[in-house]
Amino acid sequence: MRRSVAGSAIATLLAGALLAVVSLAGGGRAAAVEAASGPSPAVKTRLPNRLTVIVQENPIAPVVAASLFVRVGSRWETDENAGITNLLQLLLVKGTTTRSALEIAEATERLGGSLSASADPDFSELRGTALSRNWTALLELMADIALRPSLPADELEGERRVTLTSLRTRQDQPFSAAFDTLAARLFGGHPYGRPVLGRAESVERLDRAPLLAHYQRYYRAGRMVLSVSGDVSGPAVLAAARRLFAEAPTGDGGSDPVLPRPTAGADRTRVARASAQAQVLMGFLAPPIHHPDYAAMKVLSAALGGGMSGRLFTELRDKQGLAYSTSAQNPSRVDTSFFFAQLGTAPANATKAEEGLAQQIERLRRERLSAGALERARMYLLGQFALDRRTNARLAWYHGWFEVMGVGHDFAERYARAVRAVTVEELHRAANTYLGRPTTVTLGPPTP
Amino acid sequence: MTAPRLGPSAIWLLLMIALLTGCATTRSETPPRTLPPPVREVLPNGLRLIIQEHRASPFVALQLWIAVGGRDERPEERGFAHFAEHMLFKGTETLGPGFVDQEVEAYGGRTNAATSNDYTFYYLLLPVARASRGIEVLADVAVNSKFDPEEIAREREVVFEEMRLGEDNPRASLGRRLYGVLFQGHPYGRPVLGDPAALRGATRETLRGFYKRHYIPEKMTVVVVGAVDPDSVRAIARRTFGTFPAAGQARAAAPVPSPPAAPLAEVVARPERQASLGLAWVAPRLASADTPAVDVLAHILGGSRSSRLNQALREKARIVSSISAGYSALEWGGAVMVTAQFEPALQEQVEAGILAQVRRIQDTGVAPDELERAITASEAELVFSRETVEGLAVAYGRAETVWTLENERQYLDRLRTVTREQVQEAARRYLSAPYARLAFQPKARPQ
Repeated sequence: MRRSVAGSAIATLLAGALLAVVSLAGGGRAAAVEAASGPSPAVKTRLPNRLTVIVQENPIAPVVAASLFVRVGSRWETDENAGITNLLQLLLVKGTTTRSALEIAEATERLGGSLSASADPDFSELRGTALSRNWTALLELMADIALRPSLPADELEGERRVTLTSLRTRQDQPFSAAFDTLAARLFGGHPYGRPVLGRAESVERLDRAPLLAHYQRYYRAGRMVLSVSGDVSGPAVLAAARRLFAEAPTGDGGSDPVLPRPTAGADRTRVARASAQAQVLMGFLAPPIHHPDYAAMKVLSAALGGGMSGRLFTELRDKQGLAYSTSAQNPSRVDTSFFFAQLGTAPANATKAEEGLAQQIERLRRERLSAGALERARMYLLGQFALDRRTNARLAWYHGWFEVMGVGHDFAERYARAVRAVTVEELHRAANTYLGRPTTVTLGPPTP
Repeated sequence: MTAPRLGPSAIWLLLMIALLTGCATTRSETPPRTLPPPVREVLPNGLRLIIQEHRASPFVALQLWIAVGGRDERPEERGFAHFAEHMLFKGTETLGPGFVDQEVEAYGGRTNAATSNDYTFYYLLLPVARASRGIEVLADVAVNSKFDPEEIAREREVVFEEMRLGEDNPRASLGRRLYGVLFQGHPYGRPVLGDPAALRGATRETLRGFYKRHYIPEKMTVVVVGAVDPDSVRAIARRTFGTFPAAGQARAAAPVPSPPAAPLAEVVARPERQASLGLAWVAPRLASADTPAVDVLAHILGGSRSSRLNQALREKARIVSSISAGYSALEWGGAVMVTAQFEPALQEQVEAGILAQVRRIQDTGVAPDELERAITASEAELVFSRETVEGLAVAYGRAETVWTLENERQYLDRLRTVTREQVQEAARRYLSAPYARLAFQPKARPQ
């Protein structure tokens, strides 16, 4: 396979740590975007207890997908309880007051679907799919898990061990180990600098009482967004949601933490690790999702490292054969985010690769993009965005994600408009504002 | 492995399986209730054309499937199928290197390719208005690729990087190497990425020779799925792919691999701190009457969270951090594989635990509810794959290349007839033979 594995390596390795890193990859031409979001627009309703319900009717296939977002993630954590949100999410699907872990798994499979829970820096998510004939049972199961978890003590020990193993595995994987180092160097003491999985020291200490307290404080109607998409009737789903989530505790558990402004290290860190490929990552702090420069930074990431016609791929892989995987990403965050370029190469080429990455970033600051390059980057971004919003699981995810990120469930159109409106001058200014001194991490075998 | 995003859909998983393990698992297929049946046509030069109207999104999936893969390579050509796949994006007589990527991405589309032991395929995912241009471009790369010596030299380094990347990923590496252990001496045991010496020796003449020998209309299937008019697609395909001269050749069969006479084992020292274990048994080929029963068996054994292995080893004994089983049905042979990740000291316990679960199914069979859930899972996989044009196109293209379209479309119905007795019988027949074992053990670390 010839495509950079970067995308999926990143997606897979960082799952949970960087959930939204590559979402908002793009959006298509206007027509594509509109048509791809289904025959009728998604409808948003606030229930009396302030839980938000979004429903997209979409009959393309007899399936249904639902995402229940809760506005709490690792951003709400401290060094002492780092990883608590992720551990709680894992535990939610391990038992309710009436169902064991096995019963939950079997129930999901009987619906012809799947169920999973994960945490992110800015939110938590419970995600389910089913054959659409089973949509009521899917929502009943998800409500049971979200509202009546039993947080069983024996399952806690199992999930704790799973988490500790995952933390070790992350350290064993060259890309994720380099990525975690980069996040720490960019964000310092800010929670975005820690893996969503937490730290081994804190995960080892977390017992049931703090998990229950975390649950009781944050799993409240005011923080929840239920987003459903599928071959279903909107009014019927809304009525079911009203009934199933009526008992969600009201309120929102208090105000969000006030965090220190991150200061990037703007330095160079070398990690010695036995690996066949050396990893080179270069990162910068970047604006949050609601910032006016957000769309410009997305376009810059596409121009630099979007797909197989971005500059990193054409210059460093196609022309110099320096990499199999190389890309640039700008994850979406509620607070200060980051922008990074990445490349995996033979250890002997690491220095050349690092110079190449630095040159391509410097070029964005020095030269204005041509009109053609701008158009290519925009089309790429919007095209990938449209392609990514075709399945019900992705539609449910995007609507709920935009809502929980604070930009509104119907952000897609505004985002696409902003991308189309970005000018060469704005990109040049954004590159010079944000892509100044890089924070660099290299990982590879120790030099003899 | 290719999705530049999260939430891998069926196709991405499938693509991943295609390269990492050299095949894809069996998937079920019957016509979607709201879709017209696919149109299948064999052009006079032997090329197969499959068109499916699918109006759920404004995109069209264009795929070119070639009946060539790792198994068709001569000893001095190991890795050429995959290397040639890379070179098809490096320029034709009229299009420059990288042109396909640039043009597809400039219209908001996506393109990629994959090579397995049984097949090679290329796809373009485009706004439907670009469908005819996309078919023209695919036809051009199919027969007019240039194989420029300088481009070959550069792309060879990219392939070497791809090998290194695979090595750094223990799960990918385990799957690939397990095939090598199980199918020793058979073409399916050779790594699709090839042999570095053969790749270093590749010249324009040898690589292009491989391409000219195998990229012939008799070995090609073109699949078009999207909001298209079948008649106009047919017209464009005839005008482009239809003009390729027939080569008068068919693909050579591969031998059917037999189970090893004695257990096969290999241990590899790795840099990771976790250990991994893979066990594999030779299983029936795709066209076998036993395929649906083995498919259900693998699902019940380790295909879901409630599966036997997951419940026994991960949830109850808690001796593995992850475990799964799967059935890979290739054209001439198959494999049932179990893979697990765990703490290094537990290897013997893990292997004994896996074998105990296999024996339990052989001795006492499976429960009605387990069978029902396995069939529901297959139905769901099929229905969810229909959400996207590429999901359907992959199922059709693969079936036409290594099986038949009709078999693919009837597969779910066959699966529904599987009985508990057949599942137990399949476990006895296929999982009693000697198996292959591959263990990854951490090597001493300097730090």
